[in-house]
Amino acid sequence: MPDEIKTNNILVVDDSPTMRRMVITSLGSLRKVKSTQAGSGLEAIERLAIEPVDLMVLDLNMPDMHGMEVIDFVRKHQAYRNIPIVVLTTKGEESSRTQALAAGANRYLTKPFDPRQLADVVGSLLNAS
Amino acid sequence: MDNPNPDNRGEFFDQFLDDYYAECDEHLISIRRSLVTLEDEVDAGTLDRTVLDNLFRSFHTLKGISGMVGLSAAEQLAHHLESYLRELREGTVLLSESGFEALSAGVSLLEGVINARRNDQPIPTIDETVARLQAIASESSPSKVETTPRPETSQSDATATQWLVEFTPTAELAERGVNVNSVRSRLQELGELIQAKPVVKGAGEIAFEFIVATNADKTDLEADGLTFKPAPVESAPRAKEIQSVATIAPASVIRVDLERLDELMRIIGELVISRTRLEDQLTELKRVTPPALWRSLQETSLSMGRQLRALRESVMRVRLVQIGEIFERMTFVVRDLARESGKKIIVQLSGGETEIDKFLVERMMDPLMHLVRNAVSHGLETVAEREAQGKRSEGLLSLSATTAGEMIVIRIADDGRGIDRNLVLDRARARGISHDNTDIDDAALLDLIATPGFSTRDEADRESGRGVGMDVVKKATQELGGRIALATKLGEGTTFTIELPLTLAIAEALIVSVDGQRFAVPQSGVREVFEVESASTKVLENNEIISYRGKVLPLLRLARVFELNHERGEKFHVLVIGEETNAVGLAVDRIIGQREIVVRAIKDPIAQSKGIAGATELGDQRVVLILDIGALREFAMHARH
Repeated sequence: MPDEIKTNNILVVDDSPTMRRMVITSLGSLRKVKSTQAGSGLEAIERLAIEPVDLMVLDLNMPDMHGMEVIDFVRKHQAYRNIPIVVLTTKGEESSRTQALAAGANRYLTKPFDPRQLADVVGSLLNAS
Repeated sequence: MDNPNPDNRGEFFDQFLDDYYAECDEHLISIRRSLVTLEDEVDAGTLDRTVLDNLFRSFHTLKGISGMVGLSAAEQLAHHLESYLRELREGTVLLSESGFEALSAGVSLLEGVINARRNDQPIPTIDETVARLQAIASESSPSKVETTPRPETSQSDATATQWLVEFTPTAELAERGVNVNSVRSRLQELGELIQAKPVVKGAGEIAFEFIVATNADKTDLEADGLTFKPAPVESAPRAKEIQSVATIAPASVIRVDLERLDELMRIIGELVISRTRLEDQLTELKRVTPPALWRSLQETSLSMGRQLRALRESVMRVRLVQIGEIFERMTFVVRDLARESGKKIIVQLSGGETEIDKFLVERMMDPLMHLVRNAVSHGLETVAEREAQGKRSEGLLSLSATTAGEMIVIRIADDGRGIDRNLVLDRARARGISHDNTDIDDAALLDLIATPGFSTRDEADRESGRGVGMDVVKKATQELGGRIALATKLGEGTTFTIELPLTLAIAEALIVSVDGQRFAVPQSGVREVFEVESASTKVLENNEIISYRGKVLPLLRLARVFELNHERGEKFHVLVIGEETNAVGLAVDRIIGQREIVVRAIKDPIAQSKGIAGATELGDQRVVLILDIGALREFAMHARH
């Protein structure tokens, strides 16, 4: 038997269920990947507590805990520090790009997104880690 | 995973269109609700921060998902609405009357754009509305406008204690439905939630800290891994309000395509037929089976019948939605119309929690909307007119729903001017709709105004809706197996009452026979059944009648309708259909029994026939036609003239 490749768990965080489905379906082209979803920043952090997460696709503008606060939290704590974060946010808040990357996001993509590009970015981050 | 080619973006995102429309609907409803609150704050100088946040977020999300499905008109509109909201939120502009109107117009157009795409219609142009939104967003405000945080709940009085609540999530708790969302909503019920934030404890485990102000006793609170301790005063940063998360559906709710439920219902339908067949076969077995064995078989079959009914009812319940959502949408329409026409209208809602089949709601949406528009445009008078008549200046429009047995009753009532019979009769004559009667009752009046072409040629009517669509309203109601009735009094108002079956797919029916042929009559349309001596019927002006509850009941022989021979027996059965005032007795040879039937539409136009609503299969695999009560009643009315 060849080496078993580990299944990567991707946490998709967005307050829009339609958007989450779009993201998850786009990632469906990647091999050995499964997805978990969260509808708010607090829910996202709860998922981290419950199951191992290999990468986060994170919206910024969400109720009750902004995506920026999620990045801050994740990067501040040893156990989660190395989880790659792909920010996926609606176009038109260009100032947030610099802020998000400075806070520790690995990549910054805008909606409307290209499903192939998203899958490529996620795939390459998973391979690198 | 079914994954169409992601290289082709258009096609790829088309698979999400249904989700997109569903989510748009949710946001549009929430937006309309927020607008109603906001309208009261026009020029007020302070705006409810929570409402602004919710609106902002809805526009933001609509912008995002519209962009994904390539509906750029919606994306742009949502973008400009969002920008205006940002200005309002930051207090750089004041919400003026014209600002509110631009906001309302933007929302209506956004809804129009989304619906146009949904119905494959040309997308309306947005340039003018966008320009309007841009103009008001750049209006500068004389002074900074305060936005007020969410109004404090009653529990947050001075006596409330602040507790620091810690919740540690685990997979086990999550499995049981205890999670950060459920804990938060529980705390929100107890009192005012002041803060919610994640923390990492010593060993690297994640916990959530909530600060809640409540009068509830601590011992009532501790459960599910929550710990309570008095909150240190300084750690209660009131300034940082927790935003409402009303827009997030709880994790235990899923969205299901109606088609999947239809499929489930179809399978249950097949099961119902199979069980009926089983029952028939059991009857045949009775002669040749030992009694004890037969009885136990019979018991099994009966309990299967009960379980099947329970299954059907459960699936049916899944299809039910609360009618309140529809009422709410109507309220928005009323507000818009009232604003345009300068009328003052109070909308009274009741029975919003009444549940109705999703499919029926979708089909009745437009007809109900017609009736509401009619009531506002024609029924209710202007303030001046009302005051001149000594009525209170606000017109009353009441929308109510109740259930009665297997039916749901929807009532749309106004206290306006009522329908003028003489005008209707004059117009009917002018339109060449023959009507010789000069003293018509409400039912006949309804028949007249629901005659196709009754008033479509009148320009003023076309604009506002009366007459236009009444035929559509009546037809839609009848097609769904329902009834519509009218009650109107000049100067006092008009009430439309619509009765609809709770669900369509499976119904209780009476199986009757005429000339050896069997027919199914939906039980919801039958008011009474009785037996009649053939000798007791009379003939009056070519119409057969019998006396019934002290009144005259016209008889309609089913045999005559379908050109069959009716048995010349001594007795026959009569099914009373229709409302009190225009009831008709449907004469049949025999009542065979009562059955649960699976309703199938007859799709082949060659097989479609007036008086037949569909077909069903009984256990013996023979097809039985289902009678269309509404059409038969009409048949009887026309036969009379």
